[in-house]
Amino acid sequence: MALNRRSFLGASAAGLSVLAAPTVQAAGHGKPRVVVIGGGAGGATAARYIAKDSKGEVDVTLVEPTRTYYTCFFSNLYLGGFKSISDIGHTYGGLAARGVNVVHDWATGVDRAAKTVTLAGGATLNYDKLILSPGIDFVDGAVEGWDITAQNKMPHAYKAGSQSELLKAQLAAMPEGGTFMMVAPPNPYRCPPGPYERVSMVAHYLKNNNPTAKIIVADPKPKFSKMALFQEGWANHYEGMIDWIGEDFGGGNVSVDPGAMTVTIDGEVTKADVCNVIPAMKAGRIAEIAGVTDGNWAPVNAADMSTKADPDVYVLGDASQQGDMPKSGFSANSQAKVCANAVRGALTGSRVFPAKFSNTCWSLIDTNDGVKVGATYEATDEKIAKVDGFISATGETSDVRKATYEESEGWYTGITNDMFS
Amino acid sequence: MLHTWPPFSETRAEEVQPIEAAFTVAPDILAIEGDFAYGEYLSSECTTCHQATGANDGIPGIIGWETEDFVIAMHAYREKHRENPVMQMITGRLADDEIAALASYFKSLGE
Ligand SMILES: Cc1cc2nc3c(=O)[nH]c(=O)nc-3n(C[C@H](O)[C@H](O)[C@H](O)COP(=O)(O)OP(=O)(O)OC[C@H]3O[C@@H](n4cnc5c(N)ncnc54)[C@H](O)[C@@H]3O)c2cc1C
Repeated sequence: MALNRRSFLGASAAGLSVLAAPTVQAAGHGKPRVVVIGGGAGGATAARYIAKDSKGEVDVTLVEPTRTYYTCFFSNLYLGGFKSISDIGHTYGGLAARGVNVVHDWATGVDRAAKTVTLAGGATLNYDKLILSPGIDFVDGAVEGWDITAQNKMPHAYKAGSQSELLKAQLAAMPEGGTFMMVAPPNPYRCPPGPYERVSMVAHYLKNNNPTAKIIVADPKPKFSKMALFQEGWANHYEGMIDWIGEDFGGGNVSVDPGAMTVTIDGEVTKADVCNVIPAMKAGRIAEIAGVTDGNWAPVNAADMSTKADPDVYVLGDASQQGDMPKSGFSANSQAKVCANAVRGALTGSRVFPAKFSNTCWSLIDTNDGVKVGATYEATDEKIAKVDGFISATGETSDVRKATYEESEGWYTGITNDMFS
Repeated sequence: MLHTWPPFSETRAEEVQPIEAAFTVAPDILAIEGDFAYGEYLSSECTTCHQATGANDGIPGIIGWETEDFVIAMHAYREKHRENPVMQMITGRLADDEIAALASYFKSLGE
C-alpha cells in the first residue's frame, strides 16, 4: 500500500493498529538482530533510535572503524579558525551506554543469502536487518593525475579528521601571496554547498593571515548551490581574492601533477602552494560489495530506505540514491529516523508511521555571516520527492545573518546529540 | 484568552518572538487529543535541532511547554504569523492532529 499523508490521516481516525507490521518471529534465536555498518550521520542515528525506541527488544550492533568520528559538518569552520579539531570529534560511549554493541572494525563482506557480515578482524555477524550508511568513496581516475596515494600532497579533506588537519596545516604554511587551488567535484556529491563554504573559510583565514594570497577554483559545473549568496559574500568580504572558473571557462578540463604541485586548467598550467582536490564520488565501497548499488549509488525505496535489491538491506545517507534530497548530514539523520521506525516495526510489530523527511544546510561565509537553504520531502512510489523549500535572500541584514549563524551552532549541538548521546 | 510568551523560564525570552495578540487558534483545534506515540515519532524531526534535554544553544528549548502554548506557537508559524523560514516550512506540512501529537509528547519530556 502506498502511504501518503491523506491515507494515513484517514487510518489515524480509525485507529493506527492497521498500520502496524506483523511481528516477525526471529527464527532460531532470541531477539531480532540489526547490524548497522558505518557510525556517521546516518548509521549512528539509526543505531541510536532503534536501541532507544525498542527498549532492549532489538539487538543492535554498530560497526565503525574509527573511535572518534570527526564531523564533516563544521570541518570548514575548523579550517577558518572558528572551531578546534576537538570541537568536531565525537566518540561512541553514549551509544554503548544506550545498549548499542559498538564494534570498532571494518565490514569487509556481506553475504545476503546467509544474512551475515564479515569483519576485517575475522568475526562474522548475523543479521535480520542490515543498515548500510558508509558515506562516500572517490571515483577512480576522476581527476587526471590524482589518486588516493596523492592525498597527502593534494588533500581532499572531504572525509574529516586527519585530512582536515593536513589541509589546515598546509594553509598555515602557505607562503605570503601564495596560491590556494581547489578542484571542485561534479554532481552529485556530498554537501552541495561544502566546497564553497570551504572557499569562504579559507578566504577568511587568508584575509587575516595572508591577505595577498589568491584562491582559484576549477569547477566542472556551470553553477553551484547558494551561488548568488556565496558570490555576493565573496565580493563583500574577500574582494579580488577568489577566482572561480566554471564549466564555461574550462573548469571541468582539469589535470593535476601532485609531484610538481601544478594544476592544468583548460591547457593553462598554474603552480599551486596548496591544492585541495575533491574528486567525483560514489557510495562507500561496502555498498558495492553488498551488491546493492546500481552504478555509483544504491537505489532505495523512499518509504523506508530499503534497497531496491534486497528488502532486508537498507542504505542511508550519501551512499543512497533516493531522489531529491541533497547528500547532507541533516538528510542522513532524517532518513535514519524513518528507517529506524520501519525496521523496528518490521522486527517487533511496533507502530510504523509515514515517512517525513527534511533538510537544512547552513553555511558560514565570514564571521557572523550565515546563510541557509532547506526543504521538506515526502516518500512517493518513485522517490523521495521535494514538497517545499526556502533559501536565504541576498542583501539580508547583518542581524538576520548573525541569527542564522547562531542557529547553525544550535543545530550542530542538536544533531550531534541526536547521533551520539 | 491571553497567552504570555515565552511560556517557560527555560526558554530565554529574547530567543522567542512574541505572537501577535490577534493570533488565535480555534477551540476545537486546541481540544484535539494528541496521539503520544505518533508525537514521539514526529518529534525526531524536531530533535535534529531542538535538544531533547531542553537546552537553549542558539535554538530554543521546546520541552515541557503547556500543550496549548505549544499548539498556538506551531499554528503561528504555520500561518506565518511568526518568522523563521525553517519553522514555517516544517510546520507548513503538519496537520492539526500532528501538532497536537507533538505538543503532547514534548510536554511529557519536561515532566
Ligand atoms: C566539508 C564538508 C562540509 C559539510 N557540511 C555539512 C553541513 O553543514 N551540514 C550537513 O548536513 N552536512 C554537511 N556535510 C555532509 C555530511 O558530512 C555528510 O552528508 C554526512 O556525513 C553523510 O552521512 P553518512 O552516514 O552517509 O556518511 P558518514 O557520516 O561519512 O559516515 C560513514 C561512516 O561509515 C564508516 N564506514 C565506511 N565504510 C565502512 C565499512 N566498510 N565498515 C565499517 N564502517 C565503514 C566510516 O568510517 C564513516 O564513519 C559536509 C560535508 C563536507 C565534506
